[in-house]
Amino acid sequence: MWGIFLESVVIFQNYMGFHENGYLAGLYLFALLYLWLTEKDKGRRAVLVYAPTLLLVMFFCPLFRKVFVRLLEDSETYYRLLWLLQMSVVTAYGLIRLCGRHRRIGLAVICIAIVACGNYVYDSENITKAENAYHLPQVAIDIVDLIEPEEGRITVLVPADLIYFVRQYSTNIELPYGREMLIARWDYYHAMYEAMEEADMIEAASFTELAREYPCAYIVLKEDRQIDEPLTDYGYELCDRVGEYLIYRDTQTE
Amino acid sequence: MISLLFWLVVIPYCIGLIPTRLISEHKRNPGFTILAGYFVMWAIFELVAVPAVLLVQYHNFRTASGWFAALSILCAAAGAGSALVPHMRAAGRTGAEQARRGIWRREAMYVRKRVAGVPEALRAMPWAERIEWLLFLGLLGFQLYKAAAYASFDGDDAYYVVESLLAQQADVMYRILPYSGGPTKPDVRHALAVFPMWVAFIAARSGIHATIVSHLLLPFVLIPLTYLVYYEIGRQLFGRMETGGVFCRENLPIFMILMAMFQMFGNVSIYTNETFFLTRTWQGKSVAGSLVIPALFWIFLQIYEGGEPGNRVGAGVWMLFVCVNMAAGICSSIAVFLISMLTAVTAFCLAVVRRRLGILLKMGAACIPNVIYMAVYVVTAYSYLWR
Repeated sequence: MWGIFLESVVIFQNYMGFHENGYLAGLYLFALLYLWLTEKDKGRRAVLVYAPTLLLVMFFCPLFRKVFVRLLEDSETYYRLLWLLQMSVVTAYGLIRLCGRHRRIGLAVICIAIVACGNYVYDSENITKAENAYHLPQVAIDIVDLIEPEEGRITVLVPADLIYFVRQYSTNIELPYGREMLIARWDYYHAMYEAMEEADMIEAASFTELAREYPCAYIVLKEDRQIDEPLTDYGYELCDRVGEYLIYRDTQTE
Repeated sequence: MISLLFWLVVIPYCIGLIPTRLISEHKRNPGFTILAGYFVMWAIFELVAVPAVLLVQYHNFRTASGWFAALSILCAAAGAGSALVPHMRAAGRTGAEQARRGIWRREAMYVRKRVAGVPEALRAMPWAERIEWLLFLGLLGFQLYKAAAYASFDGDDAYYVVESLLAQQADVMYRILPYSGGPTKPDVRHALAVFPMWVAFIAARSGIHATIVSHLLLPFVLIPLTYLVYYEIGRQLFGRMETGGVFCRENLPIFMILMAMFQMFGNVSIYTNETFFLTRTWQGKSVAGSLVIPALFWIFLQIYEGGEPGNRVGAGVWMLFVCVNMAAGICSSIAVFLISMLTAVTAFCLAVVRRRLGILLKMGAACIPNVIYMAVYVVTAYSYLWR
């Protein structure tokens, strides 16, 4: 039970970003404590003080965590229990109450505290300038536009960094494997993925044989991907080049 | 564009008129109407789409879309009709022609009064408050600009966005593997959370690619809707007409500014609902965390205030409560479990402070859709046991 409790503590710490000096949880707990001491309205106490406190206690309760994980068969989403606390609403309410009549100074101080304790979402490395209305990399769109058939579907082998995007643009492109191969903890095995991504150097003979089993009408490779023999020796033609990607068409696949 | 306006503004607003008519007149406002409209609309979508996913094998998206469109239009017509009924009744004694004239004259007067009231309210607002509202609107505008001009990468889009696109392009819901494209059976955990199918519905009706709808257009709907919920919560908390006090309306823009700041700086980890809100706005789980759960807080505050003497909870609020529960189901299966727990805990706390068991029973009854949802989940997930 102690171990489960400690796991919950780690989940809480990770959620609140303690390891990256995110201290918004401190603001929240301070506001919650302040409301515990000063909120007189019974209804608001029930909704904004008692219920979140009870939920917080449940979050750390090992027995509750065991039941949650058993019922939902999922321990990875336990952190979502913390969404129920609605920390921002409770913190904003508590701090506005604390500032009382000093509204403007209070607003400035609270904003500074939020900036200091928080982390600016648009600094995230996952947020980049959009290249098009789809919000997908333009190179993925250009490649699909080149190879997409007018009718029907084709299977295409693409490098890992394009896997997320190709089917967001067109579902007429099928893949031998998808995103499931890129999540290490899911621990899937796929021979084609091993040959394409894991091998230091692609062995053209076995690689093309494997690709034809699907059959892959096109193979997209990064230009710097090492390969022992050119694919053109195995019935493929280099039909185009988009950015750093080379597009090979299998002349033996209809 | 017209189709987008129709399905994202006109239909939800007209549907929202149904619960709006069921609350007391002084609580009615366009914000309540549009929010209620969205939640009722999503509840309707759940009723139509989940059976289609589970029971219809071929072209299940077309089936669900057709039924949903028909039911939505019917409900919207009923909502618009319900707005006119009181006028019809009042004017019924003076003949049909007069009744018609009376309705439109009164409706025109109502609209004129509301529109005329806006500059008047702005004039009466102190300068400091105006600047605070402008600041909030600036922050909201900035978030919308970022949502449009910047792309946020999230691996889960390879599932959710592709599911929407598959529904739009291949006319199937949850019968094709989104990652690679092979055939599959519905995966119950995702198949009951049909929010991507609602996105596909909007995409199909507007003729816009589902990925553009998800990444570019939906933030312009979901971000303002979320702030509308916060605005309604703020009105509950800081709605008193007195000036200068802690609970005065002058604190409402401050509350809104702080909420916007929390959303922008709440990215202390990839797990917070604030991070989900601005980086995965279009995904069902983000809607659950940022829109559905705060909406429950708003409803809880209304239910509590309804317990005050002379402040009855209207049937519209209970209807909204049921629909918010159902809307959680289309967002995420786990959200159903989470909000049931939140409701149970809050109902318990409210029942204790009010010393009324009735609250517990009423709020429990409002969660019946969640129980049905979980039963469907369990039956579908474990159906292999009795095959």
